[in-house]
Amino acid sequence: MAANLSNAAAIVGAAESNVIGYPMELIGKRVTSLQHHIEAIKNVCDLTGIPVADIQGIFSAGWSGELAEHLGLRPRYLDTTMVGGCSFQIHVHHALAAIHAGIIDIALVSHGEAGWSYRGGGYGGGRGGGQVSPATEMTAAYGIFGAPSQYAHAMVRHFHRFGTTAEDFAHIAVVTRQWATLNPRAVMFDKKQSPFGGPITLQDVTEARLIAWPLTLYNCCLVTDHGGAVIVARPEIARSLRTNPVWISGAGESMGHQNMLEMEDFTATSASRSSATAYKMAGLGPADMEMAMIYDSFTITAGMTAEMLGLAPRGKGYTLWKEGHAAPGGRLPINTNGGGLSFNHSGMYGMQLLVEAYRQLSGTAEDGVNGIAGKQTNARTCVVNGTGGTLSTTGTLVLTADS
Amino acid sequence: MIRLRLLGAEESFTVAYDKPIPPQGQHTQPFWEGAKAGKLMLPRCTDCNRTHWYPRLICPFCHSTALEWVQASGEGRIHTYAVQHRAFGGWQQEVPYVTAFIDLAEGDRMLTVLRGVDATSPESIKIGALVRVEFEQANEDTHIPFWRVAEEQ
Repeated sequence: MAANLSNAAAIVGAAESNVIGYPMELIGKRVTSLQHHIEAIKNVCDLTGIPVADIQGIFSAGWSGELAEHLGLRPRYLDTTMVGGCSFQIHVHHALAAIHAGIIDIALVSHGEAGWSYRGGGYGGGRGGGQVSPATEMTAAYGIFGAPSQYAHAMVRHFHRFGTTAEDFAHIAVVTRQWATLNPRAVMFDKKQSPFGGPITLQDVTEARLIAWPLTLYNCCLVTDHGGAVIVARPEIARSLRTNPVWISGAGESMGHQNMLEMEDFTATSASRSSATAYKMAGLGPADMEMAMIYDSFTITAGMTAEMLGLAPRGKGYTLWKEGHAAPGGRLPINTNGGGLSFNHSGMYGMQLLVEAYRQLSGTAEDGVNGIAGKQTNARTCVVNGTGGTLSTTGTLVLTADS
Repeated sequence: MIRLRLLGAEESFTVAYDKPIPPQGQHTQPFWEGAKAGKLMLPRCTDCNRTHWYPRLICPFCHSTALEWVQASGEGRIHTYAVQHRAFGGWQQEVPYVTAFIDLAEGDRMLTVLRGVDATSPESIKIGALVRVEFEQANEDTHIPFWRVAEEQ
């Protein structure tokens, strides 16, 4: 049964970009989709007297991350639903729900589409052909290819700031592999599954071939296939089913940047903010977490995120693995499926995190198919953190099981 | 294709720039025009006087749209770096090479491929080291800025 959202929010202003229609004919030059967005946003803020800086949620058809970064904003609600021309009505619906829920007070719904100026281009979200973002334009020349080439810069800055070493981070790969040997569906479960599977040593990690120094192959996640789904339902339904419910006690989201150019602190992510929101909602803190599922695209991602989630002091995230706390039988099991490093990583690994967190908290992590003896933990609480882009965006959940 | 005359060489020969050449957008022309003349041009807000990078249509700090392009000093310092051992296209022939984020003297940060460093000895590269910009011609319209480690004064 739906909560009554009627009149829970109002549209308080509307505006358009400066030149619409046929700009080439009107002002002798083309207008980019980005320009349409930014002008319309500036105009609606001027109209309402709401400063751009006060926007808390951004809703657009595929542009929300780029708009937030271009405006220098760090929204706490991002929705980039793209389902064609009705996207904007749906954005208003989603904004209404977010405001009703008390997550945000001020939402921006934005549209920019150079349908004439750059017609025939064909780029998702109506960008208008031929126009890349200025961030892409200013980074395209420099031999950066894919995630490892970028994440390595964060690891070097972590070394510089905290005196950490490649070996410190290698512990993360070694321990995560231990979990993979308890998950028959993990790509690196054993030598039969993969010639590189089974347990690995620190030396295996530090001496593996370099992808982008200081990241060796075993510091990097896999590239695999995956499909996953979860269903979320109201408590009455949740309690009526044959499955055990896992409660969404807290949730938060944030972003720091989209392009690594805008990463203010290379040793920090927005997980500090998204987790603060999630912990507050749950009425729980890092010390209450009995396990963690942390996106480990690279060892640096996991180590650094553990710090952001408050599970370890700044600069000391890796110690959770090095001292065995994150390992099977440890006091704070982390990435019990074998992680993106050794279980499965399809490109966007957030769903794998959710599936394993559900299995652990519902007591089904050791079913013989997805886990063998030693994989099921006793955890009743789990912090789940996804990291997107290049350490750019984060979503944190605090999940709990019936005690 | 561009024509290079090596110092002291009797004849010139052609070398193709074989690495990705950035597409130029319509909001960044002053940057590319400056680059052709060997100048590093940066966008600055005339309201809050802060320089930002990459180029925006609105100041990301104070949200003013009163922006201008100014010539930068061309100096900066290494913020962080990495050594690339895996690459594609023209960069494949260059591995290992060093990518870096540069703290610009005027503020904010730029990505580059670092010159004047030893990629086979990553620990010899120092965060905080002084770097200066230089430009390489990629084609008729595009001169790409790269940064080189410089002697401290």
